[in-house]
Amino acid sequence: MEALLQYLLTGLSAGAIYSMIALGFYVMWSAAKAVNFTFGDVFMLGGVLTVVLREMGLPLPMAAAAAILIAALSGAVIERVFVRPFNREANAIGWMLTTIAVGTMMESFTTATYGPLGRAMPTPLVEQPVRIGGAGIYLQELLLPVVLVAMTLALEAFYRRTVLGRAMRAVAYNRVAAGLVGIDADRITMLAFALAGGIGALAGFLVAPIVQASSSMGVVVGLKGFLVAIIAGIANAPGVVITGLMYGVLEKFVEAYLSTAARDAIGFTVMILVLLLYPQGIFGRREVQKV
Amino acid sequence: MSKLPPSPARRALLGLGALAGLALAAAAPAQAQRAQPCIGASWELTGPLAHSGFALRVAVETALAEINAAGGVLGQQLRLVAYDDVGEPARAVDNARRIGERDNCVVMLGGFRTPNAIALREPLDEMGLPWVGVISAGTQVVEHPNGRNQWMFRVSMKDRWVAPFLVTAARARSRSGKIGLMYEGTGWGQGAVPDVTAAMRAVDTPIAATETFNIADTDMTAQLIRMRDAGVDTIIFYGVDREAANVVRSMDRIGYRPQIVSAWGIGVQFAQTAGPLAEGVIVAGTYTWMGQLPERAQGVLARMQQRFPEIRTPGDLLMPSGTANAYDAVYIIAEALKLAGRFDRTAFRDAMFRVNYQGIVANYAPAFERTQERMDAILPASYRLLAFHNGALMPIEQTPFGTPRTN
Repeated sequence: MEALLQYLLTGLSAGAIYSMIALGFYVMWSAAKAVNFTFGDVFMLGGVLTVVLREMGLPLPMAAAAAILIAALSGAVIERVFVRPFNREANAIGWMLTTIAVGTMMESFTTATYGPLGRAMPTPLVEQPVRIGGAGIYLQELLLPVVLVAMTLALEAFYRRTVLGRAMRAVAYNRVAAGLVGIDADRITMLAFALAGGIGALAGFLVAPIVQASSSMGVVVGLKGFLVAIIAGIANAPGVVITGLMYGVLEKFVEAYLSTAARDAIGFTVMILVLLLYPQGIFGRREVQKV
Repeated sequence: MSKLPPSPARRALLGLGALAGLALAAAAPAQAQRAQPCIGASWELTGPLAHSGFALRVAVETALAEINAAGGVLGQQLRLVAYDDVGEPARAVDNARRIGERDNCVVMLGGFRTPNAIALREPLDEMGLPWVGVISAGTQVVEHPNGRNQWMFRVSMKDRWVAPFLVTAARARSRSGKIGLMYEGTGWGQGAVPDVTAAMRAVDTPIAATETFNIADTDMTAQLIRMRDAGVDTIIFYGVDREAANVVRSMDRIGYRPQIVSAWGIGVQFAQTAGPLAEGVIVAGTYTWMGQLPERAQGVLARMQQRFPEIRTPGDLLMPSGTANAYDAVYIIAEALKLAGRFDRTAFRDAMFRVNYQGIVANYAPAFERTQERMDAILPASYRLLAFHNGALMPIEQTPFGTPRTN
């Protein structure tokens, strides 16, 4: 029982990170029908920049806020320079290549300047694990699902209750119609990428105390976040969140009862099977075109 | 038009010309054997393993500066020609070709990764280029499957010898006698399994639990719960800094504190990221620059710090054993060149078997012997146990963890 609880808690914690990354993909996709493929590198910026700014003497909250702001700006720049010019025509795929290229550049630059090794980001929440029913977990890890739920609710409120959020939904629903009613769709898309950048960086900042901040910390997580978004159906925020949490827990149970080495192979197999059964994703809806 | 028969003088001149041509042709291969007074290197100078390249450059440049300040070798100054392979075997092969064919260096130094060293076996053999490894510990780097290694030497640890060393240390510290093995899912980690299994079998002790993890894994709770449930109190560990830090954090999470006895993938960086959780972790190595150093090593450290101001403390030497191995390797190379008497790769290779040298890691007497097994210079007797104490990687006898547990 203790072990089951342990796998559940650590699985929820890992899954929360996948969900946050997948939410970033959701925000980008909703606005642009394109994503930053190497979104894991924006996630990495959240951890690495916080560590660097802390080493420069900033207190943790300020360092984290500045890192998230910089990552949001970088998200906007990526949209303006590396996505928009390559996503003007229907079915354009140039943005895939350019976002992969810019992600590689970001990772290489970080490795060259920050160094190839991880650095610790000590916080009071990782000093001592807490015991819940015999299972152990750090408060920092418990914080992750809590922040995820809060982030999802805030995002939903933002989309429903703010002018900017409604504009984003309008662009997501019909870009041309949104333009006809005076919404600057390009600007809204850029803001959506900035928002996604902020979400990714927040996730990176939250997880860095547990896993170390390094230039490569976003590679695997970014890929799994994308996987979660696809399994869920990338256009459904609650679905993305639920799928991420489920995927995290599934991984832990696979590690515990099947095979540690085969964990990712099993995860990707599940993804393929789910896509065979639900081509739009578990929570995705088939797009109907009226003619 | 009729042809005049050649005169006797003309015949003599033609004959002399032909002889001279033959002599030049015969001399050409001998000329090609002559090598330049340079030491080539293929290291990880950029990318995720850049710290390993730096750890070697520090030692090699310092040793060369000392040797050249003392007059060089055979009246010539030795040069370092270092290329970056970013840890990729294909680039290491390209670099070896450059070093052997274009730069024509007399010898080449290897870097961090065992796969790179293994990829060099055939090119080095083709070129007849001696190679000296200073980190990559894979057994097959030096002990080739065809049994015909002629050119690859090593001044480092050897995995096949490390395993019994770790098993001895683990048995001395295990109260329950239940020893587990945990390894990363790479060629290095998987290669250690048969070595450790054989070493455990040799002392009639079964491995109580065997677990693996993937590179970049952040949570090893599941594996550790299984180890705990199997009653393991001592873990033989094959992994590197980042994953090792995540292992001790996972142990802390579930309140499980076995003794870790690790192969030398763990370095100073581990303590910097794991913090207090690194305390008491034992690592096999050949050297550490922390703690009380012999006078000679203190001088070497001071000269390295003088040459590389970024080394503010010994803790900035992230691969202490590799740095010390590389330092000794350069002196062994210089001694072999002196014994060879000329910059000739074959003569140099043969002279390596006659080198006797007192280094900072070991007394190499002799450094190498003419069997594959002994093309390794550092013998198990010179392996050391190091332990993390107060954030530093110290000789174990200078820490509270030097005394094996008494049952």
